[in-house]
Amino acid sequence: MNDAHLDFGDMIENAPCAYVSLSPGGRIELANHTFLSWTGYAADQTAGKRLSEFLTMAGRIYYETHIAPLLRMQGSFEEFAIDVIKADGQPLQMIANASERRDADGKPLSIRLALIRATDRRRYEQELLGAREIAKASEKAAEERLQREHEASELREQFIAVLGHDLRNPLASISAGTRILDRTAQTEKEHQVIAMMQTTVIRMAGLIDNVLDLARGRLGGGIGLDRDAGKPLEPVLMGVVDELRLASPGRVIEAEFKINHAVNCDRSRIGQMLSNLLGNALTHGASNKPVVVHAVTRDESFELWVSNAGEPIPAAAMDKLFEPFFRANAHTSRQGLGLGLYIASQIAKAHGGELTVSSTREATRFTFSMPLLPADA
Amino acid sequence: MMFAHGFGCDQNMWRFVAPAFEKDFRTVLFDHVGAGGSDLGAYEKTKYSSLAGYADEVVEMGRELDLRDAVFVGHSVSGMIGVLAAGKAPGMFGKLVLVGPSARYIDDEGYKGGFSAKQIEELLQFLESNHMGWSAQMAPMIMGNPDRPELGQELTNSFCRTDPEIAKAFARVTFTSDNRGDLARVAVPTLVLQCSEDIIAAQEVGDFVNHTIPNSRMIVLKATGHCPNLSAPEEVISAMRTFV
Repeated sequence: MNDAHLDFGDMIENAPCAYVSLSPGGRIELANHTFLSWTGYAADQTAGKRLSEFLTMAGRIYYETHIAPLLRMQGSFEEFAIDVIKADGQPLQMIANASERRDADGKPLSIRLALIRATDRRRYEQELLGAREIAKASEKAAEERLQREHEASELREQFIAVLGHDLRNPLASISAGTRILDRTAQTEKEHQVIAMMQTTVIRMAGLIDNVLDLARGRLGGGIGLDRDAGKPLEPVLMGVVDELRLASPGRVIEAEFKINHAVNCDRSRIGQMLSNLLGNALTHGASNKPVVVHAVTRDESFELWVSNAGEPIPAAAMDKLFEPFFRANAHTSRQGLGLGLYIASQIAKAHGGELTVSSTREATRFTFSMPLLPADA
Repeated sequence: MMFAHGFGCDQNMWRFVAPAFEKDFRTVLFDHVGAGGSDLGAYEKTKYSSLAGYADEVVEMGRELDLRDAVFVGHSVSGMIGVLAAGKAPGMFGKLVLVGPSARYIDDEGYKGGFSAKQIEELLQFLESNHMGWSAQMAPMIMGNPDRPELGQELTNSFCRTDPEIAKAFARVTFTSDNRGDLARVAVPTLVLQCSEDIIAAQEVGDFVNHTIPNSRMIVLKATGHCPNLSAPEEVISAMRTFV
């Protein structure tokens, strides 16, 4: 008997897995010792009974609808979960492989199942499934939040667009009113006040343009261009410089233009960009130093830069300069909405060019450059 | 003669039966959308959330194939799908063969379906433990290359592969269905094939179907279990021959 461990029958009986052989109809014909000890049944309680009787109801349905047909079709089926009801009524979660033994004609002789206990593994699987459900739910919630945010922000931008548009008409009335008053103004003081009102109107009109461009850009319209290479750019740029000189008495604006080639651009947009860049330089630059405007055409590009002296832009602010509503430390009441540089960079992009910045102790310079394309490009 | 498979597998369920009728009939085999080799892209949650959706699918196919006075052979839940389809398209099916049918699986007052609602919930949970060789990693290979079956061959299980989500949905539709009210409206001759010792559709469940359908008769098979079309195909074939 010392050699019992070498006996083939013993190897089957006391295998580290439960081992069951069924008739083709699903009745238990043989069950090894491991199956009986795991489940707590005596041999005569199982023999001749249908395996289904020892399964949970879910297991029975699954066996009848999946395992039994699969064994007939493909002869074997592996790695399926199955729950056996033990003698004490408790379920035992198992994983099984099954195969159908057939005779020479392919007729089924028996069905064999090897089962291992899988309580921990099944619990782990359930936890994974649970975690997946939670992840799915939280992803869905995040998406919904994002969608709501998106809708709210779109509504805000529509509001801005409508507001900006509606502000234009009253502003036009004020502008017309100041021109009428200017004709009949008597004293130097009256002329000064009217001039101040007119520059304020120009400044407000610029702010409204920026706001409308923001809303249009954000609402998907983008910044539209009306390019015209046939008309000169220089008078437009000069006009912007004059306007700002008028609006900023006591400040020096030096302008140098070397525009020798036609620039295929939207002139009023480039004017708007220069106005934004100049306004920015006048607001943030040292008030006792000149602001310099430079525009030049090279062989294949057009370049426009505006530079001012004064404190350099803090490194931390550099990344955000071109974002909408970005404002440096509000040290002066002349701060705008923080849209000027954003709109300027959008105009640069629309022209296929770019707006860059460099800032040192000596000077802060915003440079716009765009490729010089033929008019029909 | 159109063969429809039930919950759990695909048209392979009929592989031992359908060939016997090829000489006398044009045979039509198909996988319900969501099962077997069907186009999973065509699976719509809403449409297939009731047996009526599956019946619509059968009717669509019948119209496409111009079926008239055909024999509908439905296994398990497809028996009721056939009952509904026959009502939706009069003239399409002239006879119904219902193999292991049940008009309602869950017990009700004065009716024994064989299962409690709790047991069906347990089944739905249990199905999650049996992915049938389906994993997110393999799914794209199976679904994306139907013309290259060799890609799926390394799977241990080549039949009855189903997306677990769809399998669960089909199980829910199947086991929570109640078609008792539809049986009396069946207007065509019907044959019920009832297995011995079938825990999915017990004798009394089959009796109910047989008694409620006006022009129905039943043959009780010696075959045990729920799939006589696989376990006892000869018996199924000869029983069908007495009817068609």
